[in-house]
Amino acid sequence: MSTEATEDYALSFNDLKVTFETAGPDVHAVKGLSLAVRPGEVVALVGESGSGKSVTSTAAMGLLPENAQVTGVAKIGNVNVVGLEAGKMRKMRATDIAMVFQEPMTALNPVLTIERQLTEALELHDVAYGKEATDRAIELLTMVGIPDPAKRIRQYPHQFSGGQRQRIVIAMAISCEPKVIIADEPTTALDVTVQAEILDLLRELKDRLNTGILLITHNMGVVADMADQVAVMFQGNLVETGDVKQVLLHPQHEYTQRLLSSVPRLSRVSVEEPAPRSEPIAQADRELVLEAKDLILEYDMRGTVFRAVENVSFDVAKGEVLGIVGESGSGKSTIAKAVLGLLPVASGTLSVKGHNLPKLSPRQARQVRKQIGVIFQDPAASLNPRFPIGDCITEPMVVHKVGSKTERIKRAQELLDAVKLPRNVINRYPHELSGGQRQRICIARALTLNPELLIADEPTSALDVSVQALVLEMLQELQRDFNFACLFVSHDLAVVDMLADSVVVMQNGKSVEQGRVDTVLHAPTHDYTRRLLAAAPVPDPIEQAVRREAWRTLNSTK
Amino acid sequence: MSNTNDKLPENVTSLAELEDAKLARQAEDSKSQGRIVIGRFLKHKLAMTSSIILVFITVMAFSSVGWGVFPGWWDKSYLNAGSVIDGGKPTLSLVPTWLGGEGIRWGENPFGQDSIGKDYFALVMTGTQKSIIIGVVVGVVSTFLGAVIGAIAGYFRGWVDEVLMRITDLFIVIPLLVLAAVLGQLAGATSGSIITLALVLGLVTWTGLARLVRGEILSLREREYVAAAQAMGSKTSRVIFKHLLPNTIGVIVVNATFAIAGAILLESALSYLGFGVQPPESSLGLLISQYQNAFTSRPWLFWWPGMIIVAIALSVNFLGDGLRDAFDPRHTGKRRRRAGLFALPTRKEKP
Amino acid sequence: MLKFIAKRLGSALAVLFAASLLLYILVINSGDPLKDLRESNADNREYLMAQRIEYMELDQPWYLRYWDWLTGVSKCFVGQCDLGRNINGVEVSGLLANAASSTLRLVLIATLIAAILGIAIGVLTAVRQYSGLDYTVTFLTFLFFSLPVFWAAVLLKEYLAIGFNDWIAAPDISLGTSILVGMILGLILQTFLAGSLKRRMLTFAVVTVFVPLAMQYSLWLNFYRYPQMGPAFIVVLTALVALSATAMSTGLKEKRVLYPALITVALVLIAYYATFYLMAEPNTWILLGGLILAVLLPALVGRFMGGRLRKVAASVAMATGFVGAALTVVDHLFRAWPGFLDNKGRPISTIGSSTANFEGGYWDHFLDNGTQLLLPTILLAIISLASYSRYTRSSMLEVQQQDYIRTARSKGLSERTVIFRHAFRNAMIPIATIAAFDFAGLIGGAVITERVFGWKGMGEMFATGLDRVDANPVMAFFLVTGTAAILFNLMADIVYALLDPRIRV
Repeated sequence: MSTEATEDYALSFNDLKVTFETAGPDVHAVKGLSLAVRPGEVVALVGESGSGKSVTSTAAMGLLPENAQVTGVAKIGNVNVVGLEAGKMRKMRATDIAMVFQEPMTALNPVLTIERQLTEALELHDVAYGKEATDRAIELLTMVGIPDPAKRIRQYPHQFSGGQRQRIVIAMAISCEPKVIIADEPTTALDVTVQAEILDLLRELKDRLNTGILLITHNMGVVADMADQVAVMFQGNLVETGDVKQVLLHPQHEYTQRLLSSVPRLSRVSVEEPAPRSEPIAQADRELVLEAKDLILEYDMRGTVFRAVENVSFDVAKGEVLGIVGESGSGKSTIAKAVLGLLPVASGTLSVKGHNLPKLSPRQARQVRKQIGVIFQDPAASLNPRFPIGDCITEPMVVHKVGSKTERIKRAQELLDAVKLPRNVINRYPHELSGGQRQRICIARALTLNPELLIADEPTSALDVSVQALVLEMLQELQRDFNFACLFVSHDLAVVDMLADSVVVMQNGKSVEQGRVDTVLHAPTHDYTRRLLAAAPVPDPIEQAVRREAWRTLNSTK
Repeated sequence: MSNTNDKLPENVTSLAELEDAKLARQAEDSKSQGRIVIGRFLKHKLAMTSSIILVFITVMAFSSVGWGVFPGWWDKSYLNAGSVIDGGKPTLSLVPTWLGGEGIRWGENPFGQDSIGKDYFALVMTGTQKSIIIGVVVGVVSTFLGAVIGAIAGYFRGWVDEVLMRITDLFIVIPLLVLAAVLGQLAGATSGSIITLALVLGLVTWTGLARLVRGEILSLREREYVAAAQAMGSKTSRVIFKHLLPNTIGVIVVNATFAIAGAILLESALSYLGFGVQPPESSLGLLISQYQNAFTSRPWLFWWPGMIIVAIALSVNFLGDGLRDAFDPRHTGKRRRRAGLFALPTRKEKP
Repeated sequence: MLKFIAKRLGSALAVLFAASLLLYILVINSGDPLKDLRESNADNREYLMAQRIEYMELDQPWYLRYWDWLTGVSKCFVGQCDLGRNINGVEVSGLLANAASSTLRLVLIATLIAAILGIAIGVLTAVRQYSGLDYTVTFLTFLFFSLPVFWAAVLLKEYLAIGFNDWIAAPDISLGTSILVGMILGLILQTFLAGSLKRRMLTFAVVTVFVPLAMQYSLWLNFYRYPQMGPAFIVVLTALVALSATAMSTGLKEKRVLYPALITVALVLIAYYATFYLMAEPNTWILLGGLILAVLLPALVGRFMGGRLRKVAASVAMATGFVGAALTVVDHLFRAWPGFLDNKGRPISTIGSSTANFEGGYWDHFLDNGTQLLLPTILLAIISLASYSRYTRSSMLEVQQQDYIRTARSKGLSERTVIFRHAFRNAMIPIATIAAFDFAGLIGGAVITERVFGWKGMGEMFATGLDRVDANPVMAFFLVTGTAAILFNLMADIVYALLDPRIRV
């Protein structure tokens, strides 16, 4: 990118380098980045963990910690903010550069009213005062689509939902009409339908205010949906930049190519017209492993009973994968918990290999548990930090008193081979492994006793795209080899589409649609399924533009 | 995963491959968390100094006057009165003659004598010994009770938790010192041995740790490895004692040290008020109480036991602080290692 | 909110009841109340024993005795407390009145001082994490944690009180000492004010020169025996406060803030002359009313004149008014000091909670109570200050890692606003809970301090009562301190609810 362009950039970097001094060796987080954002343009900065994309944005805000050394140029408008005096930098924040953060649940101060948090920036930067500032804040809330803003402005953050909080954070960011907004993973913590709404809002505001947006994300679908320009970072280096269509459709650099190929894609979906249903007849020779009938699950919260799952029925046979999809609060993980015996069944039957779980004695239940393996979402928390990897893997054998010590070690080694990790990992500790590697250990642990049933609760949603691809591939391979039944819980339709044979779509504790993947996800009949499908962005800017329109139509007819 | 400076395989174009390459190249021995903690602790200068002081005081207290059947190297007994020499002034001197002092010298009565000629070194060492025993016994009892009760309350919640919280409320209404005084009086009336006193004090000092452990367990039990253990059919006892409690070891060990310091101070306060150790037993608090009126005439009678209490309590507290830093390195460090307002940004994903 | 308070109060009363039962049983079983008489060889031993058995109702089973006590206490609700008689047959309620006021005064003042100073120090050390100040304060807090209260009390008594009393008889500071004091103060102040090396050096130099000069000048004036201030000095100081508060909040150019502050200074001067004779012999209500007016009037002025900055203007004016009022009180105290010294040559007492048969006006009594309270308060405050500052520090550090602090910074707020508006309130939430436990700790501390300083307070009542296995005084002690603790706890709960909108109902 030409750096001496006389064009007015809202934000530009030239050979930006950021190094962190740590107790160990220095960490080079950003190694010479050049990039520019024009007013009214969205530039997506894409990369996986450790790529340096968030450090770049933080450097532009002047919010890096003291141990960071920044060299090069980061210009907001015409002002270079590298090494800028703290007082001057403060004056530029909000008025010239603003930020939307990833985590809306924690980005707002819980003890101050929304009014206070919105007006303080307005008063600080001499935009408006007192009553005038409040009026302006109400106007901002209207602009970002908070209903009844005049009343709700006096409320506290905990009284708003996650999506609404992100809208408030956006209102805060645009309050002083900055030249550029840095949106750091603005939708990562949100459900897909909410994500689509927030992206729409950002797009609309950008056009209205002619603000530049530096969008930091790992989600290629979001990139395809929003960006004009794309910059791909890997390990602190900028590996590829260019127009969104060019980068996403014809990537040049090998890293970008592989990254894009790792993204699970929904195969072509028709979201417009419901296709005629043809329920496939269950084959007679299906060997059922898990079967739920009219399942009702409840949480008892200090006396008040909350019904999380209502009248859900499904079955999984040997060698099959059943996907359960839904947004947060849909009850999808609750089902997994019930199968694992972590939550009592309120009513209905839930049987594993013909044994109805709620009716079993603890001893019998233990025998049934032996046949169930589990993988959870968070690789940081799913292994006991005090156990070496070998003990983690063989724990099911210890619990069920299977095998001698040498047999257990042998088994652990076999499993490590199966998940393609070196055998010497056996004596290492979880903190020495990366998230993806830990998730592979979890898979190994789940398979230790050759289970009939594998429960996978969002096993890849905390992983980077390329790591996710590896783990999914591994799961598929292992399922072919071991032929277990699998209950796969996920919020990501594309992953379910890739992995599952049949699917249950859940909303607010109820199953709204279920059946074979190729019918449900490709010719959905229920309105909610269609909206869910339409809201999930695909990493193809041309196709995504079509889908966006479809989503809008669906939403307006809602 | 941070991109550190060291050479990485060239031309890797996938994060997964990069991570695996790093793992394969990791040559050095893997360390368990325990070993990492010990390593950090050994590097903590203040904590190490404190440990040395503590060991020194303990060895002195037990070896000098002896313990139980073991005779000590100090020839005077704390029970025998003798003739008062030079007003009972301490003969210990640490200032060398060339600095205008009396030379480095130990002397007959290094800590001086009281008004009837008892050797104060023997008295103080006996008191120190008893205070240490009380501190350790109270620390062990209250840590054990606190850890187990806290873990049970945190794991099962429900009525156990309710009862624990109500007992903790009790200490808002009856100050710890008051309850301890009443129990101390009770123990003194029934047996009078310091072990009884220590056990009784242990019975009233566990609630703080129980609350802390409960809090830790409440958050740990939501971890997925605990869910995984439960799902694979582990017994409850295995979940609590293998998966939960070992991961609260930091809180437990750190607070055990604070409990010891607290117990020594509590004992001394009780003995001062007359509800703790009863003569003829001895303790540092009792010594101060017995000799407080001699401050103007024989100040050393007041200074020695006080200084030793402060030295023990301070060293134990610093030791605990060092342990806390070792277990939880987030709070340590000098400016350079500081994880500032922002550590290296890491991606957080949808919960 | 009301429901929340009622619920907390209900469970607190239940705990109070259970605790009283437990304590009663423990106390009556902790020894033999007749021990001294059994061992005595007085002629009327039998009679004395019978008398004591009657006083203490020892012939009754324990549950009846407890029931008697409980019914006696329940009469407190109709204003006729009957707390039983002590071992010598004296009505406990009569003993309680004097004891309670001095102990509660001590504990409350110590709590207040400890909380305010401790939280301030905690915030400061958190903001300056890993600075020299932080390390020093950390070391000191550990030292205070490790100090046996009674031992420190004896030291304070011997060095501070007796030393000061000897000195005030003929105040003298040698030139060398005053220079040394100046240098030490300079060192301390430069760590507190911090800043660049140049600024630190300047602070140090100014303090090191100014303090010795001021000390020698005040000696020449004989200030320590005949302190003086006068209206001129009050006005200058108040005006300085007004100017610096304005400068710190909005800058001196902002007339809407500056004028109310300056008007307040004028009001202070007017009030000084208007109330001069009233203040020469006031009472507590007059002082309290005056203080409220001194804060309220400036607040109104600020609100009226501040326009869109009325909140800032009001708080600056309030601060000015408060300082002015405080200085006026100090001025009157200064006037009373020489007379007080004549009356009581050794002002800082080491024994008792007030001087017996002390004659004098309101200010003399004020000074007398103040000097009696001084040492125990310092002692208690220092010890609980350590825990407040420690908890505040770690809570502030925790809060500063939160995302919303980053959001606040990204809005361009100054560091001061980020700390005080965004971090501070959140950091105070856990402190409110700790305060309740700390209060109980202070009452325990008061038991020891009262013994050291020879007060006839609640603590003494408890200690002698327990020593003689005399349940009624012990229970009276428990009743007062327990109720105080519950009220304090309730206050902490309310503060908690005010701080945290998430738990407000």
